[in-house]
Amino acid sequence: MSNLHPQQRPDTFQNSSSQRSISSNSWRASVDFGSKGVRHGSRSGNDSEGFSMSRREINDDDARLVYVNDPLKTNEMFEFAGNSIRTGKYSVITFLPRNLFEQFHRVAYMYFLIIAVLNQLPQLAVFGRGASILPLASVLFVTAVKDAYEDWRRHKSDKIENNRMASVLVNDRFELKKWKDIQVGEVVKISADETIPCDIVLLSTSDPTGVAYVQTINLDGESNLKTRYAKQETLSRIPEKDIISGLIKCEKPNRNIYGFQANMEIDGKRVSLGPSNIILRGCVIKNTDWAVGVAVYAGRETKAMLNNSGAPSKRSRLETHMNQEIMLLSFFLVTLCVVVSACAGVWLRRHQDELDLMPFYRRKDYSEGKVENYNYYGLGMEIFFSFLMSVIVFQIMIPISLYISMELVRVGQAYFMIRDDRMFDASSNTRFQCRALNINEDLGQIKYVFSDKTGTLTENKMEFQFASIAGVDYSGEKTEVYVEQGGYNIQVDGQVWRPKVKVQVDPKLLQLSKTLNDTKSSKEIYDFFLALAACNTIVPIVVNSSNPNEKLIDYQGESPDEQALVYAAAAYGFMLIERTSGHIVIDIQGERQRFNVLGMHEFDSDRKRMSVILGYPDSTVKVFVKGADTSMFKIIDESLNLDVVRATEAHLHSYSSVGLRTLVVGMRALSVSEFDTWQTSYEIASTALMGRAGLLRKVAINLENNLTLLGASAIEDRLQKGVPEAIESLRKANMKVWVLTGDKQETAISIGYSSRLLTSKMSQIVINNNSKMSCKKSLEDALITCKKLIDVTSATDDDASSVALIIDGTSLVYILDTELEEQLFELASKCAVVLCCRVAPLQKAGIVALIKNRTDDMTLAIGDGANDVSMIQMADVGVGISGQEGRQAVMASDFAMGQFRFLVPLLLVHGHWNYQRMAYMILYNFYRNALFVLVLFWYVLYTGFTLTTAITEWSSVLYSIIYTAVPTIVIGILDKDLSRKSLMAYPQLYGSGQRKESYNLKLFWVTMVDTLWQSVVAFFIPVLAYWKSDIDSSSLGDLWTLAVVFMVNIHLAMDVIRWTWLSHASIWGSIIATCICVIIIDAIPVLPGYWAIFILGSSGLFWICLFGILVASMIPRFVVKMFMQHCKPCDIQIAREAEKFRNSMEVTRSGEIEMHR
Amino acid sequence: MLLQTQRNTCHDRVNLPHPHSPFPFANQFNSIHPQIKLQKLVADMNHNVNGPSKSKRLSKKPQYSRFTQQELPAWKPILTPGWVIASFLAIAFLFIPIGLVSLFASERVVEIVYRYDQDCIPETYRGNVTAYIQNSVTNKTCIENITVPKKMDPPIFVYYQLDNFYQNHRRYVKSRSDKQLRSAAYEFTTKDCEPEARVNTTWGGEPIVPCGLIAWSLFNDTYNLIKQDKVLDINKKGIAWKSDTKVKFGSNVYPKNFQTSNLIGGGKLNESIPLSEQEDLIVWMRTAALPTFRKLYGKINVSLEAHDTITVVLQNNYNTYSFGGQKKLVLSTTSWIGGKNDFLGIAYLTVGGICLFMALNFILLYVFKPRPLGDPSYLSWNRKAVN
Repeated sequence: MSNLHPQQRPDTFQNSSSQRSISSNSWRASVDFGSKGVRHGSRSGNDSEGFSMSRREINDDDARLVYVNDPLKTNEMFEFAGNSIRTGKYSVITFLPRNLFEQFHRVAYMYFLIIAVLNQLPQLAVFGRGASILPLASVLFVTAVKDAYEDWRRHKSDKIENNRMASVLVNDRFELKKWKDIQVGEVVKISADETIPCDIVLLSTSDPTGVAYVQTINLDGESNLKTRYAKQETLSRIPEKDIISGLIKCEKPNRNIYGFQANMEIDGKRVSLGPSNIILRGCVIKNTDWAVGVAVYAGRETKAMLNNSGAPSKRSRLETHMNQEIMLLSFFLVTLCVVVSACAGVWLRRHQDELDLMPFYRRKDYSEGKVENYNYYGLGMEIFFSFLMSVIVFQIMIPISLYISMELVRVGQAYFMIRDDRMFDASSNTRFQCRALNINEDLGQIKYVFSDKTGTLTENKMEFQFASIAGVDYSGEKTEVYVEQGGYNIQVDGQVWRPKVKVQVDPKLLQLSKTLNDTKSSKEIYDFFLALAACNTIVPIVVNSSNPNEKLIDYQGESPDEQALVYAAAAYGFMLIERTSGHIVIDIQGERQRFNVLGMHEFDSDRKRMSVILGYPDSTVKVFVKGADTSMFKIIDESLNLDVVRATEAHLHSYSSVGLRTLVVGMRALSVSEFDTWQTSYEIASTALMGRAGLLRKVAINLENNLTLLGASAIEDRLQKGVPEAIESLRKANMKVWVLTGDKQETAISIGYSSRLLTSKMSQIVINNNSKMSCKKSLEDALITCKKLIDVTSATDDDASSVALIIDGTSLVYILDTELEEQLFELASKCAVVLCCRVAPLQKAGIVALIKNRTDDMTLAIGDGANDVSMIQMADVGVGISGQEGRQAVMASDFAMGQFRFLVPLLLVHGHWNYQRMAYMILYNFYRNALFVLVLFWYVLYTGFTLTTAITEWSSVLYSIIYTAVPTIVIGILDKDLSRKSLMAYPQLYGSGQRKESYNLKLFWVTMVDTLWQSVVAFFIPVLAYWKSDIDSSSLGDLWTLAVVFMVNIHLAMDVIRWTWLSHASIWGSIIATCICVIIIDAIPVLPGYWAIFILGSSGLFWICLFGILVASMIPRFVVKMFMQHCKPCDIQIAREAEKFRNSMEVTRSGEIEMHR
Repeated sequence: MLLQTQRNTCHDRVNLPHPHSPFPFANQFNSIHPQIKLQKLVADMNHNVNGPSKSKRLSKKPQYSRFTQQELPAWKPILTPGWVIASFLAIAFLFIPIGLVSLFASERVVEIVYRYDQDCIPETYRGNVTAYIQNSVTNKTCIENITVPKKMDPPIFVYYQLDNFYQNHRRYVKSRSDKQLRSAAYEFTTKDCEPEARVNTTWGGEPIVPCGLIAWSLFNDTYNLIKQDKVLDINKKGIAWKSDTKVKFGSNVYPKNFQTSNLIGGGKLNESIPLSEQEDLIVWMRTAALPTFRKLYGKINVSLEAHDTITVVLQNNYNTYSFGGQKKLVLSTTSWIGGKNDFLGIAYLTVGGICLFMALNFILLYVFKPRPLGDPSYLSWNRKAVN
């Protein structure tokens, strides 16, 4: 008697439990919808995969056989994992090799390694051994220490976890055993509030009906209780006395936490087991004194452990572009190396005859008896060696340190995003979460926002608003009076029990519901509320309140809609107070009534309804059905009462047009023969091993027909705080906000109005078709209308010209993945707003893909439910709302937060900053490294192309480790081009990221030209100033070192916008650190450059040179920058000036200007 | 006050590190190291068992600080037109005088450069220069007259200048042993000195001190200057850096086996004088940065008058002929910017001039095309609206 059904809310109507399991199954795999050709939509049974999974008979080869209470026999082959978990990756011995192995999986480290290895060859030894290994070693060491620390933490928590105690049946007695010693096949007993140590199949519980309530918050984050059942055959047995010996045949371990398929042979009978019979490791038993189960999966094979893989790694747009520029830099590097080696070849060739006698070359070694070539390998090899050597010398042209700096910067940026108290949600006590660390800067370039509606734009706190019962609309004024009295309550053992949530009620309806008599309308009201109270999967739980005489009934359930309905029924005097798998107890206007639950047909996305078969105390049997209007009106017997049906339809329309979610309730009395027929087929279906879900559905469809319409309910899903303002900001920031919802069109449109997505001035294009041809036609028509509208109103840039497209899931079925996609894209890109309603989860992803595959624009998807997972993964940036609906969206997302409105600070403020900072940092790093390499390169041209570096090898190595590393990271984390206030006040400023203003190929070339100039200045001023002088190479090298380091730091200082003490400290500190390092290096007597810096520093020429270099190198940059700032100021520049020179009054004035436009 | 304290303690409690996440942003590392997530889940499980209610009560609200909210006090300079013009003018007014002073200083330096490598080859050997220079028997003495163009005040520096001599050649630069130069204890540290590391063939032979190609190729031309039949005293003491003579070159290190192998490279050293006093060697060992370089030979402490004729008697021993190098004798006075070099003065004047020009340009720009700072009508979206 499976009772676990997924959330029944319009949003997930197309999302059956089976499909949900697919999505959860694949939520880690990177889903590429386009290439796989997965169908979007439900045309040909998008659930087929899910059904085939459940229909599949477990093959013996794929099955795991578990002998209940016989772990030895179960695990004869020692093939099942024990229950000890090991999340630590390394042991003391394996740490070094494994960690190194893993670290070298990174390309950057391989580059370091290859360069270092090349340098070890004696012919190529450019740097000393120490100097060449230092960069690699320092990076490896830091990472290794970090890894070791994390692993130690993991070991520690493993140990705690493994040594927890659980009671296990050993020799017919329950004994305490450590978790790690539990084996598959053992019978485990868990008491209330204990955590389940491994995945167990329930055998019996303290509840006589075999129910156990579990909290799965550790697994999926859903805080409500879920029910799990022991099978009829085992629930009465007490393991100590009545030994259960059976055989469970279940699937191989898999990561699907919503699916389980098995059967159990017990006492010669075969019973099937499903997801409602298994409790997974990590869940907590609640409201159940004890539960006994047999372990079927243990340790790393448990579903919880199998589900622990990392978030999908995405690469940011900026980084992808950066890699192209890095290819260019590699090309430069190769060019430099080719130039050097070619020149070296020419030089050697021209001096071929002189090589033996050149006092500075000496090809021949005369020290031995036999005269032979000394370090000369022939022209070809010499050229080859100089090529390799030049690669070593110029290695930092490829800014490998940039990757590490970027990681550090992103960690820093993430730290600030997490710590931002404006993105802290007090109501759910959640901070912003940064789950993917690689795409911070993508937040600054978003062009399209795809948003879910329920739970994302709205609160997903359902409130029962109106009811239409038997064609009568009860949507009158709400009264608070009744609420003040405390609502409906009942007396139990002298205590007052009342529902936990108070509902505002319609006084007229309340009056009617109170006076139960035999009139037709009274009966209709009775049936309606009984249906609301009974036709659900809500579990009432009695909890203590602050008042000792008062207890509260908390309705726990998976669907907030159902909760709202049950609370509403309770408020009108139909209070559900007990539910077991066999019966429910409802207090009807003070009178307790017990109904047998004879059967229940779960909700599924094909039927879009659920039904429950109730046996009345007077042994009549009725079936109550509740579902979406589209699916319900098909099965309602209109002949009974056509007027009522029409009236209800009208009411439904008016409800959904004010943004309410509607459900229709129907009922039918079953005759004995009908019931018997149903029962037989139900039993056959529910014990079937093949295609159980399909059979059950058939049974349900047979039963659910010819219903009497009871009425309809309307539930309000309120908008979250700040949603309209947030959407307005996003749209001002030139982002296109699309809403993709499973809700009805009317609901979607009404939410669109209330969230200010739609305005009355906009013209709406609605596409609502049932065939491909009609879709094509309406798309064409729409395009023409759209063009017309835009042409007519293009003169006035206003909302009036903007078009809203409203399209539904059925139409999308015919459009997505067909040639009509192109037209839809064309149309959608012309529209300011797009609303897609009635869309299935995969369609949501399809719509995201529609944009993502056709444009270069960044997409962001935001959602909160399992049905948003595919869309979140498809979009460039996925944002999860950690709300009511569990953690699946969060788990799949890159960023998670508590409220939709945090999207505004996230994108406009943090995204903008992150983008600006990262973009600048990348360009700066290119410049910084290229400058150094070019200075080395120029010198090589004056050394007979032999790759001598005047700059000491230690300075070369320290250049990117100490001299220039810190400021770029600090600025990358801390610099702010604009204040939060301006960015929030002018969302348009976000456009700089969308237009890629801070990082593009043009800027790259400009930077490189600037770098070339600076390197020429840095190199040639000293060369010309010291031409024909007695300067030694160490002194000149020191001059170049200092000049280059000063230059890059001053270059950075010129671009810093906000000077905090940290910026000062890092920039000037780097310069000081460099001086100190140079002094230390020159104070080592065994280095050739001993004391050079002191001799150099005492001459005036040095200082004049240095000063001249700094000024001359920066002048072009400064001139261009100032000229651009004045003549072509970017928005950021103006806003910055406004921030500084205009007071707040003028900010408002400019706001007015904006409105006047 | 009490309330304040209480709130603080509350904050302290709030910010107690999670027992399993000492990093405030521990889950940041998840994407880098996916396996941590498992650990986190386990940690969360533990945590929930240990005290689910406790963790719920604690607010996770980030504690406010100006740092975490990125609101550290900051200086936000914006270069206004005034500042731009001022900085250009400042640079111009700084650079032009410095350039003039440098140029003036350079002009005052008197320099005599005399190239002798060609003149000092006897006519008979012109066709076969290498034979002449490599022959140890031929007379290398060469006498030439030079004229002093201007009065030269002491100290007058005597340099030799080599052209096309790559003292910065990688193989050459590396061919030395600084340890050996510094201390007798490291006599055998000659690893880098090949092919001038050891004598007597086989490996493990006697070390050469000082070893390596640099020392081996020591410059060995000598100059004697005669002014009006009077020998001008060239002071060869104190031509090397004090730091080199005191620290870098050992006073207990004596030349050994130097220039004894089959091929003689350059000058020889007096084996009874420690390296720390062989200043010619020390100067030579400071390898030059560029292929055209001067090295200090000595100093003359008397002044030379204009039109004085000086007779140079030099020993033309050093072989630069085999690779087409040039040798020059340089007599030069000095100034605060070193020797005669107009470059820096010109460079400074140029930069100063450019800055002055830029300042004028910007003045014109600001006058004829002014833009009010921070005027929102220049914002791109407002501009679009106007258009």
